[in-house]
Amino acid sequence: MTWPEEHLAARRILSVTEEELQRIILDIHDGPVQKLFAALSQLSALETRLTHDDAPEAWRVDLARVSGLIEASLGEIRSSLGTWRPPGFSRRDLVSMLEGLIIQHEEFTDCRVEWDVIGLVPAVSLPAKIALYRILQEALSNAYRHAGVKNVWVRVAGEGGRVRLEVMDKGRGFTPPPLVGPQATERAEHIGLRGMRERVALVGGTLTLLSAPGQGTRIVVEVPANE
Amino acid sequence: MNERLRVVLADDHELVLEGLRSLLADEPDLEVVGLATSGAALLDLIAQRRPDVAVLDVQMAGMDGLDCLKEIRRRGLPVRVLMLTAFGDGEAIQSALAGGADGFALKTAPPRQTVDAIRQVGRGYLVFPPAARKWMVGARAEPAPSGGGLSAREWEVLERLAEGLTNAQIAEAIGVSDNTVKFHLQNIFQKLGVNNRTEAAAHYFRTRGQNAGGGR
Repeated sequence: MTWPEEHLAARRILSVTEEELQRIILDIHDGPVQKLFAALSQLSALETRLTHDDAPEAWRVDLARVSGLIEASLGEIRSSLGTWRPPGFSRRDLVSMLEGLIIQHEEFTDCRVEWDVIGLVPAVSLPAKIALYRILQEALSNAYRHAGVKNVWVRVAGEGGRVRLEVMDKGRGFTPPPLVGPQATERAEHIGLRGMRERVALVGGTLTLLSAPGQGTRIVVEVPANE
Repeated sequence: MNERLRVVLADDHELVLEGLRSLLADEPDLEVVGLATSGAALLDLIAQRRPDVAVLDVQMAGMDGLDCLKEIRRRGLPVRVLMLTAFGDGEAIQSALAGGADGFALKTAPPRQTVDAIRQVGRGYLVFPPAARKWMVGARAEPAPSGGGLSAREWEVLERLAEGLTNAQIAEAIGVSDNTVKFHLQNIFQKLGVNNRTEAAAHYFRTRGQNAGGGR
């Protein structure tokens, strides 16, 4: 199959975006994180010494406040790095990358993810891998923020030259908005869903969103495997 | 009196080394016996100073922390390894686990947590975030728990321990890594409320009648 020129360009842009993210994240890693961690280590040491030295209470209170601020900044940096760091897309296989994402989701939230890999999952193109990863990330985040339940099921399967990713919860559900055509939703809260649909379309795949109020939500994504 | 845990630190950010060293200087049970700013230097340091614990930055220029961990394991250097990283995401945790690290600490968490992790790893515990645990033993396929709240696999490990096998021998007998055995033991001790191997073995001999044929 040959892709139209603009389609290929869009696929390239997706990969370049991930490379740019990688650079920004490395800058944050190499600069502020090291310095803040080092500063906080020194402050903690100082706090211990002041306790031993019977220093004025007010000093210790001030020091604890400064430490608290630095600790909070590091915490904020941790969640942005975790969310955005691209997981070595070109060198890692799809299943291990998705597993990593699930570990991370369980670590950052109090959710439980039931995870199944069915059969042999064939390799997919780099843009398709990126698409599946970012879609799972968005779907887990939606389930966490909107479904009102703690359990999510994720299944990935290889089926007849395609890879199929399903994400399901038994939460509160919603009425899916139209994602394509002239009626496609423009509402801010649906941007993520449109993004998912567009990512999949760019790699020649399909996305099906099944949900209704009170009925939970199921997202099924299929992308072609590498020939 | 307990001996102090001997610790070496490796990080290519000198600021971080300085900060951690300063923090560890106030801990009476921990002693920093060397600093390295590269993976290669760390390997020499471990060979010379024979530390109990190496704290290892994952992202170092040249030989990075994970390559260095691989080399430590390949050479069979008797040191426990705590990986220290700014990245707490799934990939970082997976790589540390797969490389056979004993623990994982974050530069985006308070440094006191790193100090606690050094201590825990030095005592032989595996220190990983809770979400990583179910991936440590490929535990998804683990059979349902048998008597005593132990899983069939844990019961099997306990049985071998009671026969007097070392961790390495248990690992070989049941076809898993040393780290996995340590992980099982940690859970077994916790579930049985015991503090050491002798108490665990005593528990086994006391209760094995109730668990005969257990495991399924």
